[in-house]
Amino acid sequence: MNSRRNFLSGSVATMLGAALVTKAGAASLPEAPLQSSAATMPPLMPPNGRPYNPVVTLNGWTLPWRMKDNVKEFHLVAEPVVREVAPGMTANLWGYNGQSPGPTIEVVEGDRVRIFVTNKLPEHTSIHWHGQELPNGMDGVTGLTQPGIAPGKTFVYEFIARRPGTFMYHPHADEMVQMAMGMMGSWVTHPKNPAQHRVDRDFVFLLNAYDIEPGARVPKVSTMLDFNLWTFNSRVFPGIDPLVVRQGDRVRIRAGNLTMTNHPIHVHGHSFEVTGTDGGWVPATARWPEVTTDIAVGQMRAIEFVADAPGDWALHCHKSHHTMNAMGHNVPTMIGVDHSGVAQKINALVPDYMVMGDKGGSMGGMQMPLPENTLPMMSGDGPFGDIEMGGMFTVLKVRTGQARNDYKDPGWYKHPPGTLAREWTGPMPAADAAKAPPADVNTLDVKRGSMPGMHH
Amino acid sequence: MKYPIACAMATLLLGGCASFSPDGGFDTVTSATRDRLGKDTRIVRTDADVAALAGTLAPLLATPLSVDSAVQIALLNNRGLQATYQRLGVAEADLVQAGRLQNPRFGFKRSHEGSDVLVDRSLTINLVNLLTAPLATRIESRRFEQTRLQVADAALTVAADTRHAYYGALGAAQQRTYARQVSDAAEAGAELGTRMAKAGNWSTLDMAREQSFHADAITRLAMADKDVLASREKLVRLLGLDSASAFTLPDRLPDLPVAAIALKQVDQIALRERLDIQAAKLQLQATAASLNLTRSTRFVNALEIGGVRNSASGNPPETGYELSLEIPLFDWGTARVAKAEATYMQGVHQLADTAIAARSQARESYGNYRVSYDLARHYRDQVMPLRKRISDETMLRYNGMLMSVFELLADAREQSGAAHGYIGALKDFWIADSDLQAALGGRLPSAPDGEKK
Ligand SMILES: [Cu+2]
Repeated sequence: MNSRRNFLSGSVATMLGAALVTKAGAASLPEAPLQSSAATMPPLMPPNGRPYNPVVTLNGWTLPWRMKDNVKEFHLVAEPVVREVAPGMTANLWGYNGQSPGPTIEVVEGDRVRIFVTNKLPEHTSIHWHGQELPNGMDGVTGLTQPGIAPGKTFVYEFIARRPGTFMYHPHADEMVQMAMGMMGSWVTHPKNPAQHRVDRDFVFLLNAYDIEPGARVPKVSTMLDFNLWTFNSRVFPGIDPLVVRQGDRVRIRAGNLTMTNHPIHVHGHSFEVTGTDGGWVPATARWPEVTTDIAVGQMRAIEFVADAPGDWALHCHKSHHTMNAMGHNVPTMIGVDHSGVAQKINALVPDYMVMGDKGGSMGGMQMPLPENTLPMMSGDGPFGDIEMGGMFTVLKVRTGQARNDYKDPGWYKHPPGTLAREWTGPMPAADAAKAPPADVNTLDVKRGSMPGMHH
Repeated sequence: MKYPIACAMATLLLGGCASFSPDGGFDTVTSATRDRLGKDTRIVRTDADVAALAGTLAPLLATPLSVDSAVQIALLNNRGLQATYQRLGVAEADLVQAGRLQNPRFGFKRSHEGSDVLVDRSLTINLVNLLTAPLATRIESRRFEQTRLQVADAALTVAADTRHAYYGALGAAQQRTYARQVSDAAEAGAELGTRMAKAGNWSTLDMAREQSFHADAITRLAMADKDVLASREKLVRLLGLDSASAFTLPDRLPDLPVAAIALKQVDQIALRERLDIQAAKLQLQATAASLNLTRSTRFVNALEIGGVRNSASGNPPETGYELSLEIPLFDWGTARVAKAEATYMQGVHQLADTAIAARSQARESYGNYRVSYDLARHYRDQVMPLRKRISDETMLRYNGMLMSVFELLADAREQSGAAHGYIGALKDFWIADSDLQAALGGRLPSAPDGEKK
C-alpha cells in the first residue's frame, strides 16, 4: 500500500501566508507549514516548551509551532485541499494546511496558545475549539461570539489549554457545508506531568464521513445520513494505515466523532477500557472493560489496553455498512434468483454483463473496471485473500520484535503452528442435511381461492 | 394523299401534313430521366417489351435494393407511369388530327316538285378549318410538347416517390430492430423480476412494474411491425411488383454524407429546372394562342365556301359559289372573347401561383434538408456517443454494485430508444434529400457522396 510504504517518509513543507496579511501583521505571523502527504507522520517530539509524550495521528500529522514570549503560536490556513481517500481515489475537500483533516494540535496543560487562522476559502469561516474551557470570545461561533473570518482575512485566537485530554477543532460557520467538506482536526492537551497517563503508543484520529458520488470528487454537502464513505481521518480501508505496536505496549487510541451518527468501535483480540471521555480522564475505579465502545456524535473517547496478543487484529466500526466503501443503497437483493436463460438474454443486449449477487454480496476476487475516482465496495489484499472490507476498518498489528518507537508496517502476521483455523478433512456425519420446506405455494393458493369474485 | 384538294390547300397553308413522330414524343421523357436521374425508362407496349422488361428487372431484384435500383425498377415497372406514358399517344394523335383538314363534304339531295325531280349536289370544305388549321396545329403542338413535359415530370415524380418510399421502408425496418431490442430488454427484466418475486426478493408491485415495461414494449413493437408492413407495401406499389417478397432491402440506411450540400438561390434552380413549371409555361402559351385565334375568328363563325351545283331536271344546272358570313348583329363574339381572355388570365395567375409555390417549396425543401442533416449529425455525433458513454458508465456502476441489473436493462432500453431516434433522423434526412431533389426538378447540382455503406 502506497501510504504504508510512505510511512515516516513524508516531509513537512512550509509556506508563508504573508500574501494574505498586512505587512504589519506579517512580521508577527508564524509560518504555516503545509503537508502534501496523506501518510501517517512520525510523532513530533516537542522541540521546545514543556515536555510531553507525542501522539501519532493516523494518516495525519502534528502542526509545528513557534514559541514567542512563552506563548505557543500556531498558524492554521483554511483552504481547499485534495485528499487521497485511498490509493485510487482523491477527494476535493476543504481542510487546513494542505490536508483534511487538518494537522493535530498538541499542547501541554497550562500552555498559553495563540492560533492564527487565515481563511483561503471562498466564504467566511471560524474555528470552534471543541471541548476547550476558554474565554467565551475565543469559542469561535460566528455571529454569537465573533464575526466570521472573511475570505483573505486572518484572525487570532488565544487562550490557555487548561484541561488535559482529547479535543477537536472545526468551524462553527456554515457548518453543514464546511464539516461535510472536511474542515476539522484533532487537538490533544497533554498532562503537565509526562509520567501521568503515560502510554507507549498513543494514536489519535477523527471519525468522519463523506458522500462522494462514484466518478465525482466533491462531497455532496446536503447528505444527512446516507454517506458512502465512512472514514478514519478522511481515509478508507485499504487506505487507512495499520496501528503498529510492540507486544506488551500500553496502547491508547483516541477518536473523536464528527459524523452524523454513532460508531461502535470494536477491537479484536483485546479488551480495553475507556479511559478518557469528552469531560476528561476517567478515574481508574470508574473504568469498565469493553471490546466495543460506541462513540456518539460529537464525542471523543480514549481507550487503553495492553497489547498482549500478537497478531493482525481487526479494528473497525461495527456498523457493517461503515466498513464498506461506495455502494448502491438501492440495489435489489439478487440472492437465490435463478438467472438461467435470462443471463444470455441480457448478454445479447449488454455484452459485458455478468451475473452478480445471486449467491450473496461477495464478488470472489472479481476485478472489474469501476467508474473513475472511486474504490471497490470492499477490498484490500490479506495473506489469505481478499479482506472484504472498506471504510472504517484497519488492522492493529501487535508484534513481538517491533522496536520501541518503530511504527513501520511489519507485514503479515506469521501464525505459530497449530494456531490457525484450517479446513476439516476428516469424516463428515452421515445424516442428511435438513431439507428446506417447499415454497409456500399452497398457502398462497388458498388465500387467493378464498377471495370472492377472483378468477384464476 | 387521299384528299388531294384538301391536302393541296393544306400544303399551301402549312407547308406539310402533320404526321406521327417515330418516338411518339417519348424522347423528352427518356432524356429527362437520363439527364436528371441517370435512369432509363421505356414504354411497354408489346409482349416482346414485357419479356424484355422481365429480363431487365430480374438482376435488379436479385440483390438487396439500392435506392438507384428501386428508382430504375419503378421507372420501368410502375403501371401508373406506363398509363401516363400513353397520354403521349393521345396527345400526338390530337396534334396529327389538328393538322389534317376536315374531309370535304359531299351532299346529294333528290326531291320531287310535282313531276319535277330536283337533284341537289354539293361539295363543301370547311373553310374555317382550312384557315385555322395552322393555328390549331400550333396549339396542338404546344399541347403535345406540354404533355411530353408533363409525362416526363410524372416520371420524375414517380422516381421521387420511390426514393421516399424506399427510405421509409428501409428506416422502418431498421427501427423495428431497435423496437425489438427494447422489447427484449424489457422481456429480460420482466422475467428476472418474476424470478425475483419467486425467490422472495421482490414484491408483486416491483414485479408488475417490470412486467408493465415489457407489456408496453410489446405494443410498440407491434406498431413498428405495422410501420414496416405499410411502408414496404407502399414501395411495392411504386415498384409495380406483385409481391412484397419480390425484393430484399439492405440492413441499414446509407450513412450520412460527409457534408450537406450548400446551395444558393434554390428557388431560381427550381424555376429553371422543374418540368412542371416548363409545362405550365407552355400551357399558358397555348392559352394565349387560342385567345388570339378566338379574337381573329370572332365573326367567322361558320364561314363556308362551297362549290354549288344544283341541277333541276330539265333545266341547265346551276353553278356558282355560296358564302355565308355571320352578321354581328346579335352576337358580336364578345362573350367568346371574354371567356378566352378570362381563361388566359386564369392561366397567367395559375402560372404565377405555380411558380410561387415551386420557389417556396424549393426553399422549404432546402431548409428542411439542412435541418434534417444537422439533426441526424447531432444524433450521430452527440446523442449516440453520449448514450454509449452513459451505457459504459452504467456498466461500471453495475460492476461496483452501485447499480442493479435492472438499471442496466433500463439503460439498454433507453439506448435502443435513442438508436431508434437516430434511425428516424437519418431516414428523415434521406427523405428530405429526395424531397429536395424533387423540388429542384431532379438531380441535385452536386450529388451527395454519402450513398454508400
Ligand atoms: Cu460506524
